[in-house]
Amino acid sequence: MKLCHFRRAVACLLVLCLSATGTFPAFAGIVGTEAVITGVERGQIVNVLQRSEVQTRLQAMGVDPAQVQARVAALSDEEAAQLAARLDQLPAGGSDFLTVALIVFLVLLFTDIMGYTKIFPFTRPAATTK
Amino acid sequence: MRGVSTPAAAGVFVLAAALLAGCAAPQVTGLIGQRPAGLPEAAEIAATPFFPQEDYQCGPASLAAALVHAGRDATPESLLPQVYLPGRKGSLQAEVLAATRGHRLVAYPLAPRLEDLLREIAAGTPVVVLQNLALDWWPQWHYAVAIGYDLDARQIVLRSGVTRRLAMTLDTFEHTWARGGHWAMLALPADRLPATATESAYVSAVASLERIAPAAGRQGYETALARWPGSVAARIGLGNSSYAMHDLTGAAAAYLRATRDHPEAADAWNNLAQVLHELGSRAEALAAARRAVSLGGPRLPAYRETLEGILRAP
Repeated sequence: MKLCHFRRAVACLLVLCLSATGTFPAFAGIVGTEAVITGVERGQIVNVLQRSEVQTRLQAMGVDPAQVQARVAALSDEEAAQLAARLDQLPAGGSDFLTVALIVFLVLLFTDIMGYTKIFPFTRPAATTK
Repeated sequence: MRGVSTPAAAGVFVLAAALLAGCAAPQVTGLIGQRPAGLPEAAEIAATPFFPQEDYQCGPASLAAALVHAGRDATPESLLPQVYLPGRKGSLQAEVLAATRGHRLVAYPLAPRLEDLLREIAAGTPVVVLQNLALDWWPQWHYAVAIGYDLDARQIVLRSGVTRRLAMTLDTFEHTWARGGHWAMLALPADRLPATATESAYVSAVASLERIAPAAGRQGYETALARWPGSVAARIGLGNSSYAMHDLTGAAAAYLRATRDHPEAADAWNNLAQVLHELGSRAEALAAARRAVSLGGPRLPAYRETLEGILRAP
């Protein structure tokens, strides 16, 4: 019971903070477009909590505190919910360029040999022996 | 393969070769077997800029190419603090979309269809794609920009990594793209509709933009309404973005039109009530708020609050 009150107080505080800093786009009395589309009941407080969670985790992963708020603000409600739930498991595109170069080289070498492509002058494709 | 002697290198080669390039890919086979009507044989957006990637920064490099092509100022360095996640040595898809919106552009995720991807290229829009260059259990996530294709040659052309013009077989591309979840997105100015846009996906993309850039959002809703005049979400969005820009009369006009075209849209009545109230038309505001409450729906508590707010006001 006490915990419940505490959480509600935290939520209210967050709503106040975020609406004051302009990252909370819903205005009193206006149903936001994202809510119109997704048909959510009243996702605002949940979403404010999710955004605050994402903010904390991005910061823990080395994002500059000065940038983190703007980054979270540009997420849609759905994306914020997704990141709050599984930020660790989502793909983070960023292969090391040497790895990329090596893999691409191997693939092209193979497709060259198979005769699908002709990139390297030194391959003698099997398929073009006719 | 005389040069490859160590078992490790041979193993990597066999894996990469067999799994990436091994066999014909399903969507490509379909496309080649039956060429879709209206899809040109080949296209290439040669003017797409190229930023060679550094370290783990294929996300910022690919996004920069798409943003500059769309007429924005961006470099991989300027995007680094917006999309790069040091703890993951990479960029999340959601943040690539978000950073696009940060440049007042619509971030439009494509349907997972190769045909759509090619159609967008043919329409002149470079497509940012996510590939998994390796294996499901050893993923090498990689962003690149698809800028061209040639159906006869069965090839796709990418700006990728440190390669300005990487020609890859469509089959290999499809395999790597499928392992990246068939993820692709466009960065477009809000006055340009994607060639393969659907009403719900486009209006959703604009709604996400509206949250941080109401002016661009308003333009996006106008673009959507020009194509789908009956879109209730776009009509309400037009009102909401006007409201966010403090254009109350514009907002009221959009909501009013929404209630006329869609008398069952409770959200439109609710928002109309609020803006009429702020404009000082108390009687009409009350009537609209009561209409929203009587229509009900999942957001009924919000409509009740609007009504009470108007009643409470002096």
